[in-house]
Amino acid sequence: MEYLILLAFWSAPVVLGYVFGRTAEARHYRSIIAREKEQLQLPATSLKTLVRGGPVARSELVTGSVVISVDYFKKAASALRALVGGPVKSYETLLDRAKREAILRLKESCPGADEIINLRLETLPLAGSQRNQVIGVEVLAYGTAIYYAAHAPEA
Amino acid sequence: MKYQASLPEHNDNISHEHPLKDFILILLGLSLAVLAGIWALGLLVDRVVDGMSPGTEARLTRLIAPSLPPTPEQAAPREAWLQAQLDGLRQCAGVASPVTVRLVASKEANAVVLPGGIVMVYAGLLGQLKSENSLAFVLAHELSHLVHRDHLRALGRSLVVIAAATVLTGDGSWAASVLAPAQHLGETRYSRERESQADAKALQILQCRYGHVGGATEFFEALRKQDGDAPAFTHYLASHPSMAERIAALQAAMRQAGLRSGQVQPLPR
Repeated sequence: MEYLILLAFWSAPVVLGYVFGRTAEARHYRSIIAREKEQLQLPATSLKTLVRGGPVARSELVTGSVVISVDYFKKAASALRALVGGPVKSYETLLDRAKREAILRLKESCPGADEIINLRLETLPLAGSQRNQVIGVEVLAYGTAIYYAAHAPEA
Repeated sequence: MKYQASLPEHNDNISHEHPLKDFILILLGLSLAVLAGIWALGLLVDRVVDGMSPGTEARLTRLIAPSLPPTPEQAAPREAWLQAQLDGLRQCAGVASPVTVRLVASKEANAVVLPGGIVMVYAGLLGQLKSENSLAFVLAHELSHLVHRDHLRALGRSLVVIAAATVLTGDGSWAASVLAPAQHLGETRYSRERESQADAKALQILQCRYGHVGGATEFFEALRKQDGDAPAFTHYLASHPSMAERIAALQAAMRQAGLRSGQVQPLPR
């Protein structure tokens, strides 16, 4: 009987992590997809040179960053993965969301910009100081926002 | 080249499989591997324990024997009586080395055998039992554990399993706790097997000592009444078989060997 209680202690965080983690992830993806459509007209490239070209009125450094936490289910799945090797599928969506969200926040930080160049991404794991602590990941996006002197010619 | 704004139709950076699929497949696979590993390591330990010479067993026993506190004076007569009962059973059990009985002041109705040939009888057991024969059965059960070297098996298995788990998953890692249920399942299954074997051997000892097996099931009957009806699945997680199962197994063994029940002697108060 006491073992059932132990089992519950073990599985409760995993089940909670799965339920809440999945809901949060689905909601986040819906938000990301909708906002990416809104920001579609603002190109962001990793190029050193301008995409459209022409006289530039103003340029500025822009950043966007996001911190997303790992849940117990993802952690348990990755712990199991660590024993057998292979792609850690549970963390793929986590990093995918973090990168896209960081770029979206960067774009949203400069309304009116015509394009972003020199876009770079940095990923930073937030390691807990204690063992078995749930950790998170920070993604920082930074780049140069370009404001052209003249409006884009209608295509 | 003209820049064309568009979003990718498909996200190839993430896997679109259900996240539970991965989790359950690995968990099941590794749990099976853990069960198989425990089984194989257990066989190895059994071989070592079975092949151990009595001299080595005696040395090991001295090494791991705990030191006991002195017996309180009022418990001494009862303990002496228990000791006499146990000594009477020793020859039937085939135990040559001395075995010491200790009476523990506790309401719990139980008895355990410690490494080093020490049988601890919890005082609650004496209140629970009505006949000397049923007490003899409980003592014989503990002696059977000694004869079968079950304490050495248990010690060896836990040592080997803990060592293997630590080597494979690292100390106190998450993976170890994820796989703990499988490990527990393997351990308890083995433990229940050993208990059943000790019950069977205790029956033989009782027959040898009294010439009949009366009182063999008395203790389990009493416990079953106390237990009530626990859900059936809890037996798979328990280290001992259920009381009903033990009674049924004893009765089947009696029928098979043609053992008869006889007049039981009351327990002196």
